[in-house]
Amino acid sequence: MATIAAGSLLQNPMLSSSRCGANLSLKPVYSLDCSRNRKLLYSGGAFFSNSTSCRKNIHVVKASSTGTASIDTSSFDDVLYKDIFPVNRIEKVEGKISIRLDQPKDQLQWRLTVGCNLSGKWILHWGVSYVDDTYSEWDQPPKDMWPHGSIPIKDYAIETPMKKPSEDDEFHEVRIDFNPSSAVEAIHFVLRDEETGAWYQHKGRDFKVPLADYLEDDGDMIQEKTGTLPDSSDGDDQNSGNESNDSTNENMQLEEFYEEHPIVKEVSVGNLISVAVRKSPDAGNIALNLETDIPGDVVVHWGVCRDDAKTWEVPAVPYPPETVSFRNKALRTLLEPTGNGSRALFTLDEKLVGFVFVLKLSDNTWVSFQGDDFYVPLSGASGVMGEHGQSGSESEGISSEVHTDVIISEIRSLVSGLNSEKRLKIKVKEAQESILNEIEKLAAEAYSIFRSSTPTYPEDGDLDADDAEPGLNISSGTGSGFEILIQGFNWESHKSGRWYMELKEKASEISSLGFTVIWLPPPTESVSPEGYMPKDLYNLNSRYGTIDELKGLVKSLHAVGLKVLGDVVLNHRCAQYQNQNGVWNIFGGRLNWDDRAVVGDDPHFQGRGNKSSGDNFHAAPNIDHSQEFVRKDLIEWLCWLREEIGYNGWRLDFVRGFWGGYVKDYLEASEPYFAVGEYWDSLSYTYGEMDHNQDAHRQRIVDWINATNGTAGAFDVTTKGILHSVLERCEYRRLSDQKGKPPGVVGWWPSRAVTFIENHDTGSTQGHWRFPGGKEMQGYAYILTHPGTPAVFYDHIISNLRSEIGAFISLRNRNKIHCRSIVEIVKAERDVYAAIIDDRVAMKIGPGYYEPPNGRRRWSSALEGYDYKVWEACS
Amino acid sequence: MEVSVMSSSQAKICKTELGLRDLRSCFGRNNDQNKIFSRRPNTVSFDSQISRLRKAGLRFTVKAVDSEPILEAKSSTSSKSLDRSRLFVGLPLDVVSDGTTFNHARAISAGLKALKLLGVEGVELPVWWGVVENEEMGKYNWSGYLAVAEMVQKAGLKLHVSLCFHASSEPKIQLPKWVMKIAESQSSIFFTDRSGQHYQGCLSLAVDNLAVLDGKTPIQVYQDFCESFKAEFSPFIGSTIKGISMGLGPDGELRYPSHHKPARSGTIAGVGEFQCYDTNMLNLLKQHAEANGNPLWGLGGPHDAPTYDQPPISNNFFKDHGGSWESSYGNFFLSWYSSQLVSHGNRLLSLASSIFGDSKVDVYGKVPLMHSWYKTRAHPSELTAGFYNTASRDGYEAVAEMFARNSCKIILPGMDLSDEQQPHNSLSSPESLLAQIQTTCNKHEVEIAGQNLASGAPGGLEQIKKNMLGENPIDLFTYQRMGAHFFSPEHFPWFTEFVRSLNQPELHPDDLPSEEVQAIESVQTSSDPNIHLQTA
Repeated sequence: MATIAAGSLLQNPMLSSSRCGANLSLKPVYSLDCSRNRKLLYSGGAFFSNSTSCRKNIHVVKASSTGTASIDTSSFDDVLYKDIFPVNRIEKVEGKISIRLDQPKDQLQWRLTVGCNLSGKWILHWGVSYVDDTYSEWDQPPKDMWPHGSIPIKDYAIETPMKKPSEDDEFHEVRIDFNPSSAVEAIHFVLRDEETGAWYQHKGRDFKVPLADYLEDDGDMIQEKTGTLPDSSDGDDQNSGNESNDSTNENMQLEEFYEEHPIVKEVSVGNLISVAVRKSPDAGNIALNLETDIPGDVVVHWGVCRDDAKTWEVPAVPYPPETVSFRNKALRTLLEPTGNGSRALFTLDEKLVGFVFVLKLSDNTWVSFQGDDFYVPLSGASGVMGEHGQSGSESEGISSEVHTDVIISEIRSLVSGLNSEKRLKIKVKEAQESILNEIEKLAAEAYSIFRSSTPTYPEDGDLDADDAEPGLNISSGTGSGFEILIQGFNWESHKSGRWYMELKEKASEISSLGFTVIWLPPPTESVSPEGYMPKDLYNLNSRYGTIDELKGLVKSLHAVGLKVLGDVVLNHRCAQYQNQNGVWNIFGGRLNWDDRAVVGDDPHFQGRGNKSSGDNFHAAPNIDHSQEFVRKDLIEWLCWLREEIGYNGWRLDFVRGFWGGYVKDYLEASEPYFAVGEYWDSLSYTYGEMDHNQDAHRQRIVDWINATNGTAGAFDVTTKGILHSVLERCEYRRLSDQKGKPPGVVGWWPSRAVTFIENHDTGSTQGHWRFPGGKEMQGYAYILTHPGTPAVFYDHIISNLRSEIGAFISLRNRNKIHCRSIVEIVKAERDVYAAIIDDRVAMKIGPGYYEPPNGRRRWSSALEGYDYKVWEACS
Repeated sequence: MEVSVMSSSQAKICKTELGLRDLRSCFGRNNDQNKIFSRRPNTVSFDSQISRLRKAGLRFTVKAVDSEPILEAKSSTSSKSLDRSRLFVGLPLDVVSDGTTFNHARAISAGLKALKLLGVEGVELPVWWGVVENEEMGKYNWSGYLAVAEMVQKAGLKLHVSLCFHASSEPKIQLPKWVMKIAESQSSIFFTDRSGQHYQGCLSLAVDNLAVLDGKTPIQVYQDFCESFKAEFSPFIGSTIKGISMGLGPDGELRYPSHHKPARSGTIAGVGEFQCYDTNMLNLLKQHAEANGNPLWGLGGPHDAPTYDQPPISNNFFKDHGGSWESSYGNFFLSWYSSQLVSHGNRLLSLASSIFGDSKVDVYGKVPLMHSWYKTRAHPSELTAGFYNTASRDGYEAVAEMFARNSCKIILPGMDLSDEQQPHNSLSSPESLLAQIQTTCNKHEVEIAGQNLASGAPGGLEQIKKNMLGENPIDLFTYQRMGAHFFSPEHFPWFTEFVRSLNQPELHPDDLPSEEVQAIESVQTSSDPNIHLQTA
């Protein structure tokens, strides 16, 4: 069931311009329209007709089964009020998708023609599978197959718009020419209608046109009924035997075929409801005529209002025929059919103030007026009229429009009776979410601009003051502000099978180095030994050790004063079972989700969920966080981990894959002491050289933090990237942005930036983006003296850097440098960068010269090494 | 064989897209009518949310009207009962700092949209004397403020303008340059304390009617300023601009600058000092004393008053028992000192109401909440600030009467303060003082609008809510103030929650049949076009 709104987009195409005058209430949705309220302006039997603009919007999809009701145009002499409400309904239109495979005459090329006879803006979304691809996944077709106008979609599909062979034809088609000798095994496609955004599949799967005859395991491809292709039941043995021949023996198996599939499309159809109020022959009464061209049975739920409170009341008799009382709150009247629609005539007491109604259609859908009841003012509405006289006389231009609009919506609110209050109540839950999202987004935007245009950061100062105040306990996931993180594993840690035990022995050593938080590897059962391809979330026996060993480790870490972060992979999850099509998207274990938990826009995994709210990770089914059951289960899991294992917080894997607002839900529910997300995307480069200004990059990270409502920090990938350039190219001036602040996330939102120079992906044995060799200590000299929360990589503390890093950590702790410390950049030149932090610590990196001035402070050298030096202020 | 529609639930698609945060682009590229239809569910939310907020607003309006029927009838704005304001948010103090430049315009633009969606009624715009008429007398530069007003109007928000005839220390906005130049040779235009220190944040009330500004009196200069404002902003006044606050003294408030420095939060403020030592004040005092037959009383202020940061007991004047404030000299001095302030307020407010009285705007003046030492008998902070309000005398009678006479409304800051959050042993009571002023104002049928002192103070929002929805509901509240902190994740979510909670109590569920409930759940409605424009 659906409810339909009136007063909006599509005006009836048959509305002629001569009707504009009578059509004052038509309200184009995307414009401010002050004419709307004029329906309330009536006097002495005439109605105003000074609307100047009449928008005629011809609907592209013609309603096949509906005509326009003949709207009463009889003399207006006695008309007290007249209005026409446009209405949109969803109607199902049936059509066909046709698929033809043939070989045009005199050509070597074969042609696949896909057509559709419904109107729409059709797009063929397609890809191919290659003969050597055993997973039969989607791939981009070879370039020579691309019809004109195709655009690539990620790296596994292309989209080709379907064209009409002639203008006035409803038929759309697309032709794909190909050479059957290529290695393409099959063409996969789905149809999309850009107008509605709807996707059309074949029995819940992709359409598949096999071009080579082997590797058919499901017998469910289209056109098997034609029997022109080799029978798929031939089996695999024969196919594998033929494999070598397939690419050379062209046309051998390919046969022409043509078939059609029925398709149902939902289109919106414009209808009208016309209301006219006239004097009635009976004294003291007025007659209200309600007429519509909506086909089928139409039931009007109606009531009257006696005052401005506009609550629904049941009037006294007479009622029109076919009227029944509905719970003593409203009346239900079935409209009488006319030639092309239906109507009813209501006789009402002229003392009434208004007439309110909604419609219920034969298919159980409701028609309302922009979410509220339709409201027809009756004679008693003179009080309202005065108001509008005033607003109408007010200045022209936006101001009056805005003003008018406010009044309109207020009247609309007034109109709502019990009925719409109930409706609001129900809508609110769903509605709040989206409106709050928009508000949060705007606020985040305002915030980031305000921040960057504010020379100082009073809000951080304020916060510190606030933090000191009792009673203000905001769980921001940032710990005490004095945290120093260690990543407690590398890419090889799973190899021994007893990592938890090994780490346990090092607990006190790690703590004594001055770390306060340790990040442990992902604990769940995983398809890959490192843990990042989780399967059963509640099975915590992994290559790092058993659940009991994990608990023991966490206990030991707590005992030496370390907080423990669990590495949680929320973006994707590996399935345990295949669906009926052999795709791995059914989960097992305690969270035995089905394919509704998988995002719907990654064809590899055929999820039935919504589109992903972020980027897709292609190696495993991406979880659809928009599903409430998924969120509920994940929250439960996180709380369980907190409780059962004793984790204090989270390191969140691949958070680019889903919207930060969900993270906010997870963190608010699991209340971590500290949380940090991995939002890793590429920095900006121009001609292979990294741009000095990485504001866009850090903005994306800050946006994500904002989306989480600041409940989590994020790894400062920007700072790492900039340090790479600085150290590789000796360009230390990059370490100051245009405003003289640190150029990474730490310059914008220090309390949420987790600075690091290396992790298990960038370094270790993977080395995806390794920090410049031999210059690690300059990196640490930077992040361990600067605001933000620094994270040290495990490999570095088991290397010869260990004592130097230890010295920096104790310097940081000794000088109480925290995540919101104030940096004053005193030098950012080609070969040297120097800064003073909190007026207590001075540091420089780079080969160039710098000594802090002994003016208001006296400085003494504290640490010195290759291309770095640090001083402390003497107290 | 049949073909199924894969994504039958359009609502879901849209939700996901919201997740993707491309709502903007989604609206932006929707030129095609059909496409709009498919996005419809998005628009539902705005409509229902906004109308819900408005609905709540209306409910309170009715309440307020009931309690003050006479005033409502007197008011010149007739359509008030429909669009009565609820919540305003102050724009940054330095939104315009040099006359022409609109600072933080992009941030404010986004911020306004967020506020509009949230259901906030409007914003407060501080308009500085020292910005508009900075270079020379009579030369006004309104362009920056006009740009702000236009943006606010486009956002569909209302505007409350505060005319600031005072200076600001943070951000630094001084009195006009030409005024400061005059002051170099004529420092007596400023308030002066016992030790001869001048307060440069506003002109002394004693010069109101003296031609100290190049042949003009400050009142004349203020009047010219207001008239120029009225002329320039006439397209906005009454439609977008719904209220104007007249600057009355330090920080715009009707008071003496009895505390030169604001007290650090969490510390106990001293009693402050009397500010009657500039030549003109002393002259007035002298005349008054002679007319009263006590010429010796006219030589200066009380000799036994403590200094700024001292507590009341450190000298005789404010002592609970036997303090000079209760002597006949005390009464003489305090009556004179407070009546000077009320007269000053009267001069400015009658000026403002004569200029703006014919426009559809409400005129406001700000009265401070001098709450420290309220629990002592003498109420020293109020006395030094110019309010002769003690345990035995209601000093707000005269003030409320003066506001009533000029048909002006009072803005009271400090609605975020609660007794509980005051420093221990401070003998301060913002809540009792607020209640007292409210009672007195109710008596005189003067409406009170609220303001907060600090944003982010613990418990502040709860206290504001209590005040807004309590026994004396506040129909207009201005929340201070927009800026980085306001939109920060540390603050904004709390503010959002606050605004939403103002609209409680929730709607009562009624007993529609479940069949209908289901139908309604997937309701699609059209939108408020106003909101559309904003998100487009």
